[in-house]
Amino acid sequence: MENAKTMRRGDGELLLFWMVPVLGITWLVAFFVFPGFVQPMSPTLSAGQVAAFYRDPANLPRIRYSMIVFNWFGIGMIPFLTLVVGQIGRMAHRTPILKYCYLGCLTGGPTLFFIADLFWLLAAFRPDRPPELTQMFNDLAWITFIGQVGFLIAQCVFLALAIYLDRQPRPVFRIWVAHFNLLIAAALAPASFVALAMTGPIAWDGLLSFWTRNAAIALWIVVMTIVMGGNIYSQRRHEGIGP
Amino acid sequence: MSVSLEQGIPFRPSGPFGRIAWHWRHDRKAELWMSWYAMVFFYNLFGVVFVGLTHVMPPPQPYWDDAEVAQWFRHYHSGLLVGFGIIFLISGLVAACNALIAYSMRRMSVSRAFAYSYIAIYSLSATPGMLLTAIVLSVGAMRPERDPRLIHWLYDMAFMCFVGTMGVFLIGTLVWLIAILIDRNKVFPKWFGYLNICNMITEFVVAPAWIFKAGVFSWNGTIAFWIDTAVFVVYTIAFIVLLRKMIEREDFGDGPLPGNGASLFLAPGLQEGSDQ
Repeated sequence: MENAKTMRRGDGELLLFWMVPVLGITWLVAFFVFPGFVQPMSPTLSAGQVAAFYRDPANLPRIRYSMIVFNWFGIGMIPFLTLVVGQIGRMAHRTPILKYCYLGCLTGGPTLFFIADLFWLLAAFRPDRPPELTQMFNDLAWITFIGQVGFLIAQCVFLALAIYLDRQPRPVFRIWVAHFNLLIAAALAPASFVALAMTGPIAWDGLLSFWTRNAAIALWIVVMTIVMGGNIYSQRRHEGIGP
Repeated sequence: MSVSLEQGIPFRPSGPFGRIAWHWRHDRKAELWMSWYAMVFFYNLFGVVFVGLTHVMPPPQPYWDDAEVAQWFRHYHSGLLVGFGIIFLISGLVAACNALIAYSMRRMSVSRAFAYSYIAIYSLSATPGMLLTAIVLSVGAMRPERDPRLIHWLYDMAFMCFVGTMGVFLIGTLVWLIAILIDRNKVFPKWFGYLNICNMITEFVVAPAWIFKAGVFSWNGTIAFWIDTAVFVVYTIAFIVLLRKMIEREDFGDGPLPGNGASLFLAPGLQEGSDQ
């Protein structure tokens, strides 16, 4: 490479990496601003109660503002997930297939979250609509948000397989990262069946579908940010690119 | 498999678990086989859920009135909710299918743009074509007491997403088709290229389902559903078999694998350039 001095393959990686903590803060703030999350809305609410939730002057601006923030930043994990693809590319594999698997998954989760966000914003756009319509948009938002864990599960499983198959003296990730990803995949799995129950742990406000699922995603982001930070900084030192 | 005769690799045990463990440990093609089995598992489960559990295939009538549609949802209530729960759980496996097909294009004498555009197109295909259908039908089934007019609207949205999502499959198939026809490495036989043309044509043929509510061109009609589905099933079986043959033919040799930070893949012809 003649232009090795002016352009290196690690350039800009740190900027993409440091987007994650900033994103994390916006997600956390938006999560607490949305009045339907802190005390998750129950699926047993009647159409009238759902409409009243959106019409409540204390709720409406918080619904709109939090969902606008999610609309801006919900997609923001994609650059970080692309850095994970880069790490899979460094592994001792014979084919790029697990890299392609991960790449094929990483837009799925954010896109589906984005669709859920659109349904919430639509419900809040004209809260004076007939209550049955508001309830239907609210149902569509919650089922899309909670139930769409398929790509996130597959992403964790593909990364775990890639780590297990990275058989070299100095593997890219330590083996516990693979175990950790499988654990997160297992924690996300029950949420797939969210539409089956109106009450109990599987319902969209339940222990498994809401609390375990969302805590697992938050934990994944925190742990993987730390792990990826360690990897990127040590690779840069090793390859003599900056800090 | 003659691999087990090579130095340092133990013989493959006979029990099913022992065999799986052996392949995981010693099979150089483990990555490819996992994707292939993921593909077979996905398409089988897809068939069980869409035909057996949710009764989305063959689709119910597009000309039903509100009461008949609401009755359909009540009748298949549990099947719809359990079936689509399974689909939500395993939907990420489509990425393994797409990755394996993209990999087949990396073995062909064509630009990398083909593999990458296939991954890009098909990573969005599942969302409108399958997941939105499943989400909307789940919402339709979860509250049988909902106003039948709204249930009917959800029904239309679901089946039009399912049958009427055309472009992603049209252009995705086109990319694969061109790669197969111009490939000089003979990764796939040419007849499979022409079968791709048939699959592509089904996406044109299905378009009138957006207009007609009864007859051969409606969403469950003889042409728009039955003939198109028959072509799709033949096409899917063909590529599953051909991809298996492709994996069997692969020969990765015995060389050491690249170390941490290296950007070489050992599959012949797959060496990555500096943009890796």
